[in-house]
Amino acid sequence: MLTALHIAIVAPFIAAVFVPFLYKKLPKIHTGWFVLTIPAILFVYFLQYLPVTSSKQTVTAVWDWIPSLGIHFTAHVDGLGLLFALLITGIGMLVVLYSIYYLSKEREALNNFYTFLLMFMGAMLGVVLSDNLIVLYTFWEITSLSSFLLISYWYEREKSRYGALKSMLITVMGGFSMLVGFVMLYAMTGTFSIQEIIASAGDITSHDLFIPAMLTILLGAFTKSAQFPFHIWLPDAMEAPTPVSAYLHSATMVKAGIYLVARLSPVFAFSGEWMWIVAGFGIVTLFWGSFSAVQQTDLKGILAFSTVSQLGMILSMLGVGAAAIHFDSMDDNLYIGATTAAIFHLINHATFKGSLFMMAGIVDHETGTRDIRRLGGLMTVMPITFTIAVIGSFSMAGLPPFNGFLSKEMFFTAMVDITSFQAFNMDSFGVLFPVVAWVASIFTFIYSMMLVFKTFTGKMQPEKLDVKPHEAPFGMLLSPIILVSLVIVFGFFPNILAYTVIEPAMASILPSLLGEGEQFYVDIYFWHGWTIELYMTMGVIGIGTLLYLSLRKWVAVYDVFPSSLTLNHIYDQTVAGVEKVSSQLTGAYMTSSIRHYLLYIFSFFVVALVFVLFNKDAFSVDGATAPISVYEGVLAAVLVTTALVVMFTRSRLKAIIGLGVLGYTIALFFVIFRAPDLALTQLIIETVSVALFLLCFYHLPQISRKLENMRFRAGNFIVSLAVGLTVTLIGISANSSRLFESIAGFFPEASYDEAGGKNMVNVILVDFRGFDTLLEILVLAIAAAGIFTMIKLRLAGRNDL
Amino acid sequence: MTNFVILPILIPLLTGIILLFFPKKVTFQKVLSFIASVLLVIVSVMLVFQVHNNGIQTLELGGWQPPFGIVLVADMLAILLVSTTSIVSLAVLLYSFYSIDAEREKYYYYPFFQFLITGVVGAFLTGDIFNLFVFFEVMLIASYILIVHGGTKVQLRESFKYVLVNVISSALFVAGVAYLYAVAGTLNMAHLSERIGSLETQAPILTVIAVLFLIVFGLKGALFPLYFWLPASYAAPPSAIAAIFGALLTKVGIYSIFRTYSVVFVHDTGYTHQILAVLAALTMIFGVVGAVAHQDVKKILVYNVIVAVGFVLFGVSTLTEEGFMGAIFYLMHDMVIKGALFLLIGAMVVVAGTSHLKDMGGLIKHHAQLGWMFFTAVMALVGIPPLSGFIGKLLLVQGGVSAGQYWIVAAMMVSSLLVLYSMIRIFLNGFYGKIQLEHANQYGSTKGLLLPSAILIAVSAGIGLGAEMLYPFVATAAETLLHPEIYIDAVLKE
Repeated sequence: MLTALHIAIVAPFIAAVFVPFLYKKLPKIHTGWFVLTIPAILFVYFLQYLPVTSSKQTVTAVWDWIPSLGIHFTAHVDGLGLLFALLITGIGMLVVLYSIYYLSKEREALNNFYTFLLMFMGAMLGVVLSDNLIVLYTFWEITSLSSFLLISYWYEREKSRYGALKSMLITVMGGFSMLVGFVMLYAMTGTFSIQEIIASAGDITSHDLFIPAMLTILLGAFTKSAQFPFHIWLPDAMEAPTPVSAYLHSATMVKAGIYLVARLSPVFAFSGEWMWIVAGFGIVTLFWGSFSAVQQTDLKGILAFSTVSQLGMILSMLGVGAAAIHFDSMDDNLYIGATTAAIFHLINHATFKGSLFMMAGIVDHETGTRDIRRLGGLMTVMPITFTIAVIGSFSMAGLPPFNGFLSKEMFFTAMVDITSFQAFNMDSFGVLFPVVAWVASIFTFIYSMMLVFKTFTGKMQPEKLDVKPHEAPFGMLLSPIILVSLVIVFGFFPNILAYTVIEPAMASILPSLLGEGEQFYVDIYFWHGWTIELYMTMGVIGIGTLLYLSLRKWVAVYDVFPSSLTLNHIYDQTVAGVEKVSSQLTGAYMTSSIRHYLLYIFSFFVVALVFVLFNKDAFSVDGATAPISVYEGVLAAVLVTTALVVMFTRSRLKAIIGLGVLGYTIALFFVIFRAPDLALTQLIIETVSVALFLLCFYHLPQISRKLENMRFRAGNFIVSLAVGLTVTLIGISANSSRLFESIAGFFPEASYDEAGGKNMVNVILVDFRGFDTLLEILVLAIAAAGIFTMIKLRLAGRNDL
Repeated sequence: MTNFVILPILIPLLTGIILLFFPKKVTFQKVLSFIASVLLVIVSVMLVFQVHNNGIQTLELGGWQPPFGIVLVADMLAILLVSTTSIVSLAVLLYSFYSIDAEREKYYYYPFFQFLITGVVGAFLTGDIFNLFVFFEVMLIASYILIVHGGTKVQLRESFKYVLVNVISSALFVAGVAYLYAVAGTLNMAHLSERIGSLETQAPILTVIAVLFLIVFGLKGALFPLYFWLPASYAAPPSAIAAIFGALLTKVGIYSIFRTYSVVFVHDTGYTHQILAVLAALTMIFGVVGAVAHQDVKKILVYNVIVAVGFVLFGVSTLTEEGFMGAIFYLMHDMVIKGALFLLIGAMVVVAGTSHLKDMGGLIKHHAQLGWMFFTAVMALVGIPPLSGFIGKLLLVQGGVSAGQYWIVAAMMVSSLLVLYSMIRIFLNGFYGKIQLEHANQYGSTKGLLLPSAILIAVSAGIGLGAEMLYPFVATAAETLLHPEIYIDAVLKE
């Protein structure tokens, strides 16, 4: 049944339909103002679910789509889904507000922009609020599409199109893979409902399809969430307008993969493979993203790699959080903290990264560049933007008193704790997790500092800027100010999130640990005492500062990697390679020569049939083969000889006469086999066709003197001989294995008694199978009209479109 | 028994014959063709419901009992395909009104069009293998004429190849029919099914004949490695004709394989259907490789016709309920969406003045509707939900998983991705990108050319969103194919 919840999910789609209309009819008002109402209303709407989910209730509403295939549009609100829904609508609201000032209503095609943006918003809500895997997949693909359209928004730019194509190919590849995984889950459990699958999770762990399903689904999640090595699309996606980067490519869409991992944790998390793969990919991505970010010179480039890195961090926490499931309850369960940290950091990342993207957009908007080599000293002219950058970056770097510090500490705790987990080799190889996490955090610190200090301190270089920089209008600053306020609020009062948002979301990820009426214990605070996490943070700050100051000395490290080995290069080579190989392969056999085509077709015919004939032992001659009389032998010899003459003669006249002889000889065969009707027909046809050929012959040009070489002719000879032999062999075999009595016995009597005709062949033609005859006459009529047309209608020289 | 069953054949047949007598009265030709096409849609849809309510409908022509006479059989598969055909042909006819030049219209374009539809519809409805051959001939002779209609250089060159290959395949068809008759003693499909189903011993010769029929129908249906004739010949004629070819003609070959490999040749499925599965997988891959290889928009689309052949036949090869339903859904989807895409590409070439991607760009600036319709159609083609391609693809994957054909499922997904790549390139380089031609310089207008594609895209969305409504029909069709007794009982009435 359709409910308000469904309407909430599809509302952005419905609104999207009206956007072009509003854009056209009310050009005076920036279309964004209308659009803004949608996320605002939805945000408030979803807020009212907070008391529901925090009291461990869930809301489920089913609207049938294809119930026969188990596909229901089941809207399901629980802690995890609601957290995402609030992020999507909340950040969405701020992004739309920001875009009103960022995109000029005079110059930009706002109708397209907001249509795509609303499509995305609806799709994203659908992803996180659908209980049915197929519906989730549907919305998932729509997010990929709208992302494609938003990245290529400035479609005349080559790089926009390149980035759009790249993101689409990679995320849709993941989507397809994920679909196969969903089908496998269905094959194991018989349902597409996530909640039902979770309920039967215990039964499928030993199923053959369990691991394939897990891997294919993870591929979907990793491509979407830009995990190494699939992250390469995200930096190129920065060609999109900055509001889009802030919204899709940092706060929401790229977290869809994380959502999926969290959502399906109860299904897969019990296996060691899951834990290693999720945590492993996460930690590697964390490192690689932060390491690569330092190398960037474009503000948005730094932020893109930073996003990659942070997504990896969240994922690694979800991965190690799986360890908690190996315990029956939450008592003394050390590993629950990782999940808490993942959720908390997910929220924090949305706040500080959103504000940083908007900051980058403002800098770009007011200075005309995002290149840190051209920027510097903006602190004095753009004080508010500078403040935003400081708060956002310091939070990202994990400095107190911001929210990023809290979640970074919790992250370190989780990484240290996992080394004590007594399974899946975590207690030995697991030590890599805290080490890599720590190294990556140093790089995170470095690029965070770069964001602030390279842009806002040092000397201003007005000669490198096209415009004179000044502070942005208040409207544009409003959204990032709200976000950095949240950074501070969540930093000082993290526990306002604890039982409203974080704990309910954890309950969705780790449902097996909770008994009736229980809840997780969540308490986030600054001071843990002199613990290893604190030493790690101090190390990060100390070493990070040193490295940042000496950046110029060691930046050459990045040149060590040859450019031919970069993932981007591999992607480009693959795409170009697929096209090139396809071209060569297709060009090799599609020669547009009909002789080649016939050669392939006949060869396949012979090889396939002869193979099957002998492979299945179908060849037999034991049936009643009629004796061959002298006449037949002679006629056969004539047939073969004339056929050879036709082929080898150089005179057209001889060839025509040869064909005639061939036809008449066949007529004689019909006579011998006592089929006078056929013989007569054959004689008439032969006479007419030979006569016609001779008539046309007069108008034809001389036959070409060019002789084909012997090899070519020998090849053709062998193929034609083989075709003839194959047909004959099957014919003999078919004749010798008559499995059933023919229905022919019916006709002699029925022709006379029931159809009232004495000539059986005629009766079959005009009565029993008169329909065939009617249609054959039609064929002749069409042919006649067609030939007439061919002769009369010549649009010669016309090139048809 | 009901005379109703023959109406979908008679309507285009009689219309074509009447039109033959008034070649110069173009308006009359258009009006009558239009009425006939609308009528065909109505009658076909009515038949769908009749079959749904009353089971398989048959008509024994001349009153002769099967297997002795010819019988028309409207089972759910046949009538669903007839209905889809009728919708696609109506859209293409509308497109023809605005795109076929006056000279062609005066030279029997509309009658040939109707005869082609007669052949296609008849092939779906007949229950007799020899009669199937005859309908193939009707369809082919009409297609020969349509492909060469107008006699431009490229048409003459390509039609020659097309005719030659099809004449050869027809000869092989007749040979196959002869062998089958020798072995099984009958040509009525229900009777064949009954006889072959009752076999208790091995019948290796039937396996050979089954493979021969696979080759014969594979030649028509563009199965690997028999499709060489297709790309050039489908790209040669005007878009309206190419649309009919791309949307319908190969489907008749696929249908014939579907029919014979579910109702007739079921004696050695471990062998024959494995061959079919492997060929289907190769068809997908080689088809999409061809699409990626080209920069000509028509060629890209034509190679995509081949990919769909692989998808559908893979579903057939699984012999599972999901696989069969997937094949039927996908077949219907592909008829609709290939029709739409051929028409859209046709309009695109009209405005760009070229079919070469490298010479296009920025078309969306002046042709936004065309561009977004194309984008939507591509998404449907690739199987992005909730458009029509998705349901078929989902079921095909399910069928593949339950048949254990994981590699072919993987091949299907890789081909889907490359299909997306091959088609989205057209969007990115043709519609997006720098403008090559300002509006004033563009070669033609899209007047009247968009509505037909819009209809087809709406149908596609309807198939996807309304899949539940279509489901019982498709399920019935698959059920009949999985349990040939139903078919046999309906036809032979034992």
